[in-house]
Amino acid sequence: MINDWNLVIGIEIHAQVKSNSKLFSSSPTDFGSSPNSQVSLIDAAMPGMLPVINSYCVEQAVRSGIGINAKINEKSIFDRKNYFYQDLPQGYQISQYKDPIVGEGYIDIETENNQKRIGIERLHLEQDAGKSLHDQDPKYTFVDLNRSGIALMEIVSKPDMNSPKEAVNYVRKVRSILRYLDTCDGNMEQGSLRADVNVSVNKDGEALGTRCEIKNLNSFKHISSAIVYESKRQIKLIDSGKRVDQETRLYDINSGETRSMRSKEDAHDYRYFPDPDLLPLVLEKEWIENIKKNIPELPDEKKARFVKEYSLSNYDAEVVVSDKATSEYYEAVVKGRAPKLVTTWVTGELFSVLNKKNISIQDSPVSADMMGELLDNIESGKISNRLAKDIFEDMCETGKNPNLIIEEKGLSQISDEGEIEKLVDEVLNSNPENIEKYKNGKTKLLGFFVGEVMKLSKGKANPGTLNKLLKKKLDN
Amino acid sequence: MEFDKKNLLKLGKLARISIKDDKLDSLGEDLNSILKFVDQLQEIKTDQVDPTSNSLEQKLLSREDIVEKINEAEDVLENAPEQEMNFYVVPKVIE
Amino acid sequence: MTENLTIKQASDLLKNKELSSKELTELYLKNITEGKELNCYNYVLEESSLSEAVKSDERRASNSLKSDFDGVPIGIKDLFCTKGTLTTASSKILSDFIPTYESTVTQKCKDSGLISLGKLNCDEFAMGSTNKTSYFGPVKNPWKLKDSKADLVPGGSSGGSAAAVAGDLCIASLGTDTGGSIRQPASFTGTVGLKPSYGRVSRWGIVAFASSLDQAGPITKTVDDAAILLDIISGHDNKDSTSSIKEKENYSQNMNSNVKGMKVGVPKEFMSDDLPKSTLKAWDACKDLLKSNGAEIINISLPHTMSALPTYYIIAPAEASSNLARYDGVRYGLREQGENLIDMYEKTRSEGFGDEVKRRILIGTYVLSSGYYDAYYLKAQKVRSLIKDDFNKAFNDVDAILTPSTPSTAFEIANEPNDPVQNYFNDIFTVPVNLAGIPGISIPFSNDEKNLPIGLQLITNSFEEQKLLNIAKNIEETVQYKATPEKWWIT
Repeated sequence: MINDWNLVIGIEIHAQVKSNSKLFSSSPTDFGSSPNSQVSLIDAAMPGMLPVINSYCVEQAVRSGIGINAKINEKSIFDRKNYFYQDLPQGYQISQYKDPIVGEGYIDIETENNQKRIGIERLHLEQDAGKSLHDQDPKYTFVDLNRSGIALMEIVSKPDMNSPKEAVNYVRKVRSILRYLDTCDGNMEQGSLRADVNVSVNKDGEALGTRCEIKNLNSFKHISSAIVYESKRQIKLIDSGKRVDQETRLYDINSGETRSMRSKEDAHDYRYFPDPDLLPLVLEKEWIENIKKNIPELPDEKKARFVKEYSLSNYDAEVVVSDKATSEYYEAVVKGRAPKLVTTWVTGELFSVLNKKNISIQDSPVSADMMGELLDNIESGKISNRLAKDIFEDMCETGKNPNLIIEEKGLSQISDEGEIEKLVDEVLNSNPENIEKYKNGKTKLLGFFVGEVMKLSKGKANPGTLNKLLKKKLDN
Repeated sequence: MEFDKKNLLKLGKLARISIKDDKLDSLGEDLNSILKFVDQLQEIKTDQVDPTSNSLEQKLLSREDIVEKINEAEDVLENAPEQEMNFYVVPKVIE
Repeated sequence: MTENLTIKQASDLLKNKELSSKELTELYLKNITEGKELNCYNYVLEESSLSEAVKSDERRASNSLKSDFDGVPIGIKDLFCTKGTLTTASSKILSDFIPTYESTVTQKCKDSGLISLGKLNCDEFAMGSTNKTSYFGPVKNPWKLKDSKADLVPGGSSGGSAAAVAGDLCIASLGTDTGGSIRQPASFTGTVGLKPSYGRVSRWGIVAFASSLDQAGPITKTVDDAAILLDIISGHDNKDSTSSIKEKENYSQNMNSNVKGMKVGVPKEFMSDDLPKSTLKAWDACKDLLKSNGAEIINISLPHTMSALPTYYIIAPAEASSNLARYDGVRYGLREQGENLIDMYEKTRSEGFGDEVKRRILIGTYVLSSGYYDAYYLKAQKVRSLIKDDFNKAFNDVDAILTPSTPSTAFEIANEPNDPVQNYFNDIFTVPVNLAGIPGISIPFSNDEKNLPIGLQLITNSFEEQKLLNIAKNIEETVQYKATPEKWWIT
């Protein structure tokens, strides 16, 4: 809410289906191939070409539908959405209009102080378009059809979100679910997951405002700032007595502003009609049930389990499960170890390194096994927490195994009382005047003695034992 | 007249076919005649009837998720009116 | 001995070594040259047909024939994509298009050793019933009115395919039929034209007109030849989602012309005083013929078939408007220069498409557009269900249905009506069959008082091509229609 304005946000997510080949052709779906190198005659819409559906893409859509708690429709229809565009070779996009493969569903997102349920209208399958390059030549646009025909799932939310934060959390959650299901790689930078955001503003008790659609947002940051900018723009318009036009807008990542799309020369009339090249898609009940049975544990369930099994806080659990790979990493480390210690290290030390290096947990220089080994050394008292941090840093640099580092550098903690006592005696013997001062009441000097012994032990003396021994000797 | 000049031009825009001024009248006449002809369907009662979009009674057949031909760039670009560096080239598009 | 050869006769000549495939092909190339005036071919494959014929002769010599019909030259409607060979759909917009792929149907012909003589003229994008919408000019019907030199239409859209068979510019040909485009020209030219059940023949690689109606089929001199070609081109194709998985039959081998006990329906809605007397007479004669051969003639009703034509002229243009959106000057075909992308699109499509195609695209765009979809397109889809239902009910009582193929015989090219709707009536008897997705065949029965062929149409239920061919064969055997046009084009 900005002043007394309400924000109303609905989101259409376009998620590329993770599959080897395209929705209606056998071309590969790899990102970043050379121009028009993964384009079949079908993708280029050569005369007489016909679509044949990829059964795996259908399965992926159904799995995704189950993941968003939605109704799976036993019968769905592929329609043609007709419009002309240089990167739409058929002159129509095969999509689903009145009868999508997945109907209503919902997901729960975290808000400031509790959870909120966001309704989902539908999920349908459709073809992705090609790509246009506008900046290669001043007079021409270049067209690459490699992306043309890749399967997309369009997930349409209800207008249930009321802040940029909620919008971002919604997209995050959907992305997380799809990644858990392995139905979409969720790579927003490469455009495998992108969002069209519908924004409108109104005041309490008033009817909904006119909405604007901001197209093709491909990062959480852009989603958030586009909503902030757009809502302010709309409020300013209304406050100054003007009205908001329903239109499609683009978000300019350089200026942080949204602007009207100039190409909307004439109002679209998509002339949807059932694609006569494709018969209705009918799914067997049994087949759907079978897929349901094989759905893996999803973020919400996993979070509940982590809270219960590892006594994680709600917050920590949310952080750990939001990414499937992270949750798997965490779980691999936490098995048989103290959850508190594991959480601190994974969400603290590890995350900060990953963030610094801007890499994902899959590419972590420290594997779950190695992390476990490091924590075992802390738990057994072989190394101190402080020393562990140094070792961890070393591990990140060299990729070496912690035990090897400890051994090579002789870093294992000295816990043997006799050995520490020798060091304590050495320090005490060479500082008689300070002992005197201590005994006269300057007990703060304990720290000085600890430091000296530590120095002597190269930091390896077990601090507990050291303290205990020093006190015993000084206080006698 | 359903297909007057304004409607025809709008329809032409939608279908991406430019219609020359001197063709507007005769084209409008033709289309009106066709529309009048097909309008006779309005008399048939179809309230309880399901639509047929394809007469074939068969479930949708599908294929496995297998990549078949990897590179058809030469094939698909073979007939391109204009291309550069394996891109199709079209007049500048402004978004 | 070598005039008006059928596939059967030609393959016998080849088999008995009375003629080589090369000689046979040369003969037909000569016929094509002599018949240039008929304008049947958009493109003649002079070289490749001969080299293919030589290869066929070599196969024969080495006993490695691809089929019994290896070496027989045929013509192919210019709607089938043929690898390395111009494929234009008789449209300016595709006038220089050379596919890098081969349609399933023509591939099957190649696999059987058939030789392609060239690509046959047709109405632009198969839209028309006179072959006058072709960018390459009209085809002339080999038949002439008695005592007149006026050129007649061959029918359409497979006008070139039908005229080439009738004028003996090929032994047989392939056409496509969306609303009658095989049967109507067959009827106008005294040839046999078969439209198979929707889904019997693959549509892959055939330039699409109306996807839910298009179906390829043969135009031949005899019913036997139709069965032979259907054997070759039919069957499931996993590249076409609307291709039937039903096993195909061995039509020529199982041919049985006995009609004893068969029930043949005659729909009262097709009877009209507007029909030429000679057509009515032929129809009646055929009923008598079937009766005397042991079939039972039953009067039936197909109450919604008279709504088929307006239904068709909503559904076909709607699908066409979408199917033809890909001709945009970006990836292939004609491109006109434009100031910007939209300008380029509009100029290319305006310049590249002919008037009838434009009319259909515009009407199709209209009936799908917002506000009109329910009233037109959805309505037509519902009436389509009623029409299909009529046939379903009828086939509970009868094995086949007998009608005239066309409401008239061929007419003068110069006399084509100006009103496009008047032209649409040429397809009035054939269109219901496409909407229902069932097979139909037109066979020549007799000539009218003007000496023009009259075709009759037989219809059976879906995938009952065998029954259809059997009854057609019975009629053919009995009437012994042998008329051929005088070869006036040879001077």
